[in-house]
Amino acid sequence: MSANPTKILVVDDEPQIRRLLRTSLVPQKFEIAEASTAAAALKLLAADAFDLVILDLGLPDRSGIEVISEIRAMSQVPIIVLSVRNDEAGKVKALELGADDYITKPFGMAELVMRIRVALRHRYQAQGTLPVLRAGDLEIDLVNRKVSRGGTEIKLSPTEYDIVRLLAEHAGKILTHDYILRRVWGDDKADDVQYLRVYVRAIRKKLGDRIGENEIIRTEMGIGYRLLIGEP
Amino acid sequence: MTVPDAELGKGASAPDPAAGDAPHRVGSSAYLFSTLMVVVATGISFAIQQIVTLPNLSLVFLTAVLFSALRYGLWPSIYVSLLSVAVYNFFFLPPIHTFTIADPANVLSLVFFLVVALIVSNLTAQKQRQAERVAARARLTADLYGFSRKIAGIGSLEDLLWVVTYQIAAMLKCDVVLLLPEGGGLQVRAGYPPEDSLDAADMAAASWTWKQNRPSGRGADTLPGGRRLFLPLNTQGGPVGVVGIQRAEPPIGDERRLLDALADQAAVAIERARLADAVDRVRLQAETERLRNALLTSISHDLRTPLASIIGGLSSLKSYGETYDAQTRSDLITTAHDEAERLNRFVGNLLDMTRLEAGAIQPRLEPTDVGEVIGVALGRARPLLRQRETEIDLPDDLPMANADFVLLEQVFFNLLDNAAKYTPSGSRIRIVGRADGADLTVAVIDEGTGIPDEAAEAIFDKFTRLEAGDRKRAGTGLGLAICRGFVQAMGGTVAVGNRLDRSGAVFTVRLPAAGAARREPETTDKGIVHVG
Repeated sequence: MSANPTKILVVDDEPQIRRLLRTSLVPQKFEIAEASTAAAALKLLAADAFDLVILDLGLPDRSGIEVISEIRAMSQVPIIVLSVRNDEAGKVKALELGADDYITKPFGMAELVMRIRVALRHRYQAQGTLPVLRAGDLEIDLVNRKVSRGGTEIKLSPTEYDIVRLLAEHAGKILTHDYILRRVWGDDKADDVQYLRVYVRAIRKKLGDRIGENEIIRTEMGIGYRLLIGEP
Repeated sequence: MTVPDAELGKGASAPDPAAGDAPHRVGSSAYLFSTLMVVVATGISFAIQQIVTLPNLSLVFLTAVLFSALRYGLWPSIYVSLLSVAVYNFFFLPPIHTFTIADPANVLSLVFFLVVALIVSNLTAQKQRQAERVAARARLTADLYGFSRKIAGIGSLEDLLWVVTYQIAAMLKCDVVLLLPEGGGLQVRAGYPPEDSLDAADMAAASWTWKQNRPSGRGADTLPGGRRLFLPLNTQGGPVGVVGIQRAEPPIGDERRLLDALADQAAVAIERARLADAVDRVRLQAETERLRNALLTSISHDLRTPLASIIGGLSSLKSYGETYDAQTRSDLITTAHDEAERLNRFVGNLLDMTRLEAGAIQPRLEPTDVGEVIGVALGRARPLLRQRETEIDLPDDLPMANADFVLLEQVFFNLLDNAAKYTPSGSRIRIVGRADGADLTVAVIDEGTGIPDEAAEAIFDKFTRLEAGDRKRAGTGLGLAICRGFVQAMGGTVAVGNRLDRSGAVFTVRLPAAGAARREPETTDKGIVHVG
């Protein structure tokens, strides 16, 4: 890490935001490059290798959504989108086009750093090879299809297990309703968010999950679910 | 716009020209019938001349004169009188079948007959004219009463102008235009049949009427060559407009009097409507002014207070940071952070309010798990509820609500925010959900001071704050207004009441349940079913 610090490209037209991110992230051992326009960002990305991109959706020259597509056409670099309140549709769109996560302005720095770490880890982790997944006090035995929380085994139906496992595989990362539905049920159920809600409610009950107290499955309003991996 | 219904048209009983003008112009049929009456009288006289004396036969003819006067008025009855004299002389006074009279006494009686007949004709016709005038006046009064009744209940000026125009048109069977002053000139505001503008000549006549406050145009002394007759609409406060009518025959006599009376009533009604409009405008202006002031007060207070804390705290740290101990630094930072969060909420509320008022809220209604929504709201409100206990009471079989998750979350967040503001620390906030027929209700019950009954509605208005000022950290005055706006956008209601023992307020959100969309997950290994 010390030899090869993680390089993050910050794309935002607001100088205060870039300054805030630089000031806050450099002490966390990240190397920061900045771009204030989509054109400058794409140019930097083409010239240099980055480990992660923090991308504001409201850029002056082009829509951030377009920039995501452009980046994905050339690289699989993790993208965290900076978004605003009341723009669930924009966030979902960004995630569908390949953004890894989003964070809503104004945001807490601890939360952003955690999102960055989650995105980096998933990008470099070989997927599905570990026999046991852990997230917080939740433990998932992939071989025996068993779930326990705080050492207590929890009986889940096969579908419930599939949902929990999917969330745990992407622990800390936002998964859209659409993504979960397609992965667990297949394409024909993709629109039935309702179906998913009912299952999540049942899973929460079994996990003894109380939102605001000891929640482990977080509802991201209008977007999807996220398995929490510790204090945000 | 009030469309005049069939009933309106019924009142338009224009005076029948034939009846109204009977005393003045008589058709030839009157003389025909009068002649017939004389023939009948002659027949009767022939029939009874054997049993009554000759002079008394004249009474039969007098009867004919009387009938004619009653039915047809003066001139036909004079005609009958003269005809009767001739016939009586010719057929009955000796020598018969000549117009000569042998007996001088009969000459005298014939002269008296004529005098009596003429007097009777005159008196009867006069009486008859009087009766007709009374009837016409009664009709006029009834028409006016009907007219005033129809325009009495109309509040808006536009509707009033339309009904006035339509009524005058129907009652006088004419085309009507109404002009009101606008921007220095006159403007056509209503017409029946619909009319947008007048030609130059008519416009000149209308303007003359407006300026001179006197009638003009066809049937008036001034500009009689025009197509229309224009009358000023006068009130005690001065003229309010001009009415113009167009008909083949300009109204005269009773019709003209009716038109004048209608114009007077219309003028009064128009003035009344204008005054009402003006009062409304003033009230609206005052309300706008009040809201603007409240907004400014609210914004300056709610923006400045947290900013003061943030700037104060941060500048202290910047200048004297190294002299503070760790605890002080942490306190300053926490305060600044909390206040920044508060500012963020306030800005969010302002944005929500703006979206609501711009009509930009389009709820995505779908079956929504209220428990999940409340959970998210509680999670977000947790920092605000630090010294409050929360208790959630939702039955397992609570139906899903047909709601927008994001909007509903904001509703509960604002209710929790409100509860946190107006309750003492250490108190408890309960959230109770219940199914209620095709709806479900969620009550947020606190242990604060409750809401005075008279404030139960006002509390949902913008910028209404109970206990505002310095007594308590007041809210933005937007939170509950947003609650109501969002809930209503989702087809629900939100109301406030007090706990029965007055130990706190109860905010109840009522939403339609999404009955059809409920599904049950598959049975688990243990056979336990968790119903959504």
